[in-house]
Amino acid sequence: MSTESLVLLATIFLPLMGVGLVWAVAPSGRSVVRYVALAVSLATLAGAAWLVARFPAEGIAEGTEAFATVNAPWLGTASGIDIRFHVALDGLSLWLFALSALLTATSVLVSWTAITERVSEFFAMLLLLETGMLGVFAAQDIILFYVFFEFTLIPLFFLIGIWGSEERRYAAIKFFLFTLAGSMLTFLGILAIVLNARGVGGELTFSIPELTARLAANPLGFDLQLLIFVALFAGFAIKVPLFPFHTWLPLAHVQAPTAGSVILAGVLLKMGTYGFLRFSLPMLPDATAAAMPWMLWLSVAGIVYGALVALAQGDMKRLIAYSSVSHLGYCMLGLFALNRLGMQGGVLQTINHGLSTGGLFAIVGMVYERYHTRQIGEFGGLAKRTPLLATMMVFFTFSSIGLPGLNGFVGETLVLVGMFQRGWADVDAAGPPAGLAGQYQWISVLAVTGVVLGAWYMLWLVQRVFFGPLKEPHGHDAPGGHGDGQGAIQDMNLREIAALAPLCAFILWIGIYPQFFLDRMSDQLDTITDRGAAALERHEAREAIEVRMASESRR
Amino acid sequence: MTLDTVLLLYPEIVVLLVATWTYVGGAFATRESARWNWFALGGLAVAALQLYRQLEPTVFTDQVSTFGPMTADALMYLARFVALAVGAVFVLATMRSTPRGQSGEIVGSILMVVAGMMLVAGATELVTLFLALELISIPTYVILYLGRRGAGGDEAVTKYFFLSILSSAVMLYGFSFLYGLSGAGGLAASTKLADIRASLVAAEAAGTLSPLASVAFVLVLAGLAFKLAAVPFHFYAPDVYHGTSSVNAGLLAVAPKIAGLIALVRLLFAMPGVESLALAVISAVALLTMTLGNVMALWQANVRRMLAYSSIAHGGYLLIGLVVALHRPDDPTAQSGLAAALLYAVVYSVASAGAFAALAYLARGTREVETLDDLAGIGRSQPGVAALLAVFMFSLAGIPPLVGFWGKLAIFTGPLDVYLASLPSDGAVVADSALALGQWYLALAVIGVLNAAVAAAYYLRIVAAMYFRPAIDDAEPQGGLGALAAATLCGLAVVAGGIFPGVGLKYAQSAGRAALAPSSEPPIEATAHAVRGVSRLPTPDR
Repeated sequence: MSTESLVLLATIFLPLMGVGLVWAVAPSGRSVVRYVALAVSLATLAGAAWLVARFPAEGIAEGTEAFATVNAPWLGTASGIDIRFHVALDGLSLWLFALSALLTATSVLVSWTAITERVSEFFAMLLLLETGMLGVFAAQDIILFYVFFEFTLIPLFFLIGIWGSEERRYAAIKFFLFTLAGSMLTFLGILAIVLNARGVGGELTFSIPELTARLAANPLGFDLQLLIFVALFAGFAIKVPLFPFHTWLPLAHVQAPTAGSVILAGVLLKMGTYGFLRFSLPMLPDATAAAMPWMLWLSVAGIVYGALVALAQGDMKRLIAYSSVSHLGYCMLGLFALNRLGMQGGVLQTINHGLSTGGLFAIVGMVYERYHTRQIGEFGGLAKRTPLLATMMVFFTFSSIGLPGLNGFVGETLVLVGMFQRGWADVDAAGPPAGLAGQYQWISVLAVTGVVLGAWYMLWLVQRVFFGPLKEPHGHDAPGGHGDGQGAIQDMNLREIAALAPLCAFILWIGIYPQFFLDRMSDQLDTITDRGAAALERHEAREAIEVRMASESRR
Repeated sequence: MTLDTVLLLYPEIVVLLVATWTYVGGAFATRESARWNWFALGGLAVAALQLYRQLEPTVFTDQVSTFGPMTADALMYLARFVALAVGAVFVLATMRSTPRGQSGEIVGSILMVVAGMMLVAGATELVTLFLALELISIPTYVILYLGRRGAGGDEAVTKYFFLSILSSAVMLYGFSFLYGLSGAGGLAASTKLADIRASLVAAEAAGTLSPLASVAFVLVLAGLAFKLAAVPFHFYAPDVYHGTSSVNAGLLAVAPKIAGLIALVRLLFAMPGVESLALAVISAVALLTMTLGNVMALWQANVRRMLAYSSIAHGGYLLIGLVVALHRPDDPTAQSGLAAALLYAVVYSVASAGAFAALAYLARGTREVETLDDLAGIGRSQPGVAALLAVFMFSLAGIPPLVGFWGKLAIFTGPLDVYLASLPSDGAVVADSALALGQWYLALAVIGVLNAAVAAAYYLRIVAAMYFRPAIDDAEPQGGLGALAAATLCGLAVVAGGIFPGVGLKYAQSAGRAALAPSSEPPIEATAHAVRGVSRLPTPDR
């Protein structure tokens, strides 16, 4: 086993060992627990960073062995069910893997003083969740993927249910059941993929690359693809969440503790887009091509709807939660534009959203820690009181709305250019049926309105809360002191800066030099795009024949 | 009855001797009671040791696989080990919770139930099978009677008693038809399942299969559905579980279910010719059982009632495995379907027994855990037990990486596989009926997984009560360390089985293969393979 493989293995299971460590030091008091959790999350982050640094800059072509492969039998071949412990990194998973490690460290830092009850259990759950997330993205065995995918529900269920706000019990249960209901159908879809991709001798494989290769060589029948696509869709669309399956999200986000929101928005939603990218698109290209208009419409509906609802929110966290619905719409729009730029933009946007929205949730958490409310109407002019926090807020807002020079701009532009290509440029070349081209054009235009709306609700939020005359809740602004005896409101401290600074660095890095990130994944994305484009051509040809037959029969 | 049979049944004899001694001795002893539990544990350990020694293949060389009324195959050995484990868990769990002076009777009854389960595992003859099943039922009456709680308990025991007697009678009536059928076509009537099977095969081949075979099937299924708590013979379960103690409820949720499943497997594959009827009836029963169980569980306020409906629902899942096996009994899919059902029964039993043991531990004095309020806040006051209960709930809900997930994986792969195999490949023409059957299997899988999602709702209620609510009653649990030990053992099994599921799957597969081994094959070979399949090597593909 190479060094890389060992490091990958260690990185995935370090947080799990950290759980035991946190447990062991729990009697020594909260602050020891906090430092141990921080140390573990930083060590994990270091492992992830080292892996990113060693990852081949030109990416990994499909069909070649992935980076840092660990492949060991798990269930044993004796039972005929060769489910393996197979983890590795490739272009599709590398950045989400790194993002998980990064945001966990951020979460530990933002929970430092926010969590005062059952501290050791909290950090244990957070670290448990980290192992789950890292495992989801590293898994190269389809069942192992599902095991990690479902496992993440348990720690997040406890994080929301124990450390959340007033309605936490309801939110935790709704979150769990909603996602479980979807992912049980996904489970059937996954089993169907495995059962259909039998080898020459009828033997089953559970390895994702092997399944991809087999299904590329022998694509499934169209009807079957569609059926499996729908099954996978059930779980992944709820996870993303795609409009109209998003109703669990605002509740879960608002009720979750800050760290939970950061992880939920930053990583867990991405498990949905990742699922589409890893399974639906490469393994079911024909169904993807057929579902494309539907998926695009749902995505754009989410973009516009999420933005409009965000405009109407009076609670900061809820506003950002709805902005997530809108932003994830862009990710999905990019993926299902099924062309090179759109795909790259979609994947990059999943990372961007993790950085910017993760940061925004962290900032809202910091405001809440100071004032114990999130109602926008109760704030005003906080920039005077907490200039540094306001600066950070403006920075992350700019990232979120896509200011040129920051990451959001690159991602959104790629997605929109991809979509516009789909709507206009490709019309002459491949020639989608006229009706569809019209639809795509509408979708493109509507998607752009999302950008405008996004700038509106985010800037309006910043304006109301951080600018204008100073206004603080709870009589904090009353002359002579602070209503609830909290002491003076402090600006960001070093710990809070440390939590957000790495996110800022990556926001700038992606904004200035996105190529570094795109290079490592574009090869694999191109393969998926090519397969999707071929499927799209087949689909259009089939449609054209049907149209012709229909018109002939009419005559 | 030859010496071989006696040797084969050595572990059962040990268990029964210990049980008898406990019964008799318990009547005289008036002192502290846990000693009978230790004595019984010792007996179970000796039996397990004997059973393990039997696994040496040399013991079986040159011996036929059928020992009088018993068949020694992988299914038998696995089920006997499971029965001993179940016995150990419940003997441990009753260590403190039994009222003074009744310990001997309760422990003895548990051992009898264990012996009954072990005998069911190997019985391939109608009378033996019936007696073995009764050996489970009759001690259960005693246990329920001793553990009754208040007027509701009396009613529950009476209800169980009469319904159980009725179901036994119905089953026995079905057996009488089977006996009669075995004598059709001029053969000598026989109570051996192999003979019944042979005679039915001959009748089917000759086209003279009597419609009475269907009658026999329906009667047998009705009798065993009571044991499995399958719809429409499920309705006693909530009342009885409610009216008795947690440990008793646990025993009732586990022992009859495993035994009923094995008996059903043995009988079903001795009745060729009724497969299409069995498929239709059992799949309908499975669908209704899991849906009704899960939906009803959602509305329960009492924890034991909730788990009673949960146990009904799980009975529905494991029937799916049986339905898969019925599709084409000679197909490898059938073996894995049956293996899935057996695995699921064990996986469910571990979590269920553990959950009831944990509830027994949480009893406060003579007051058992009744409502969710009694569980509120134990996540803080009793973190260990709460964690165990949470593990059991997540496992029952099928969340990885716990063992319940692998049970669900095995169960739901089956119908999906049948459906996919029914699809036309490359433009081949497939009969509409075959397609419809395939879609029926798909529906079974889809409704099954949706049920699993519904089920999570009530399991989560228990977890949420423990962790998300403040404690209402801070009294110390008084269920005794035995119950805690039993729950801990089950918890370890659930976690370890989830992380290393390969072993369990492998053994379940050899058991499934053994149960389906066609009787036409020389029995000696079948046994040799199967026995070795249990002990060490994987059975080579035949």
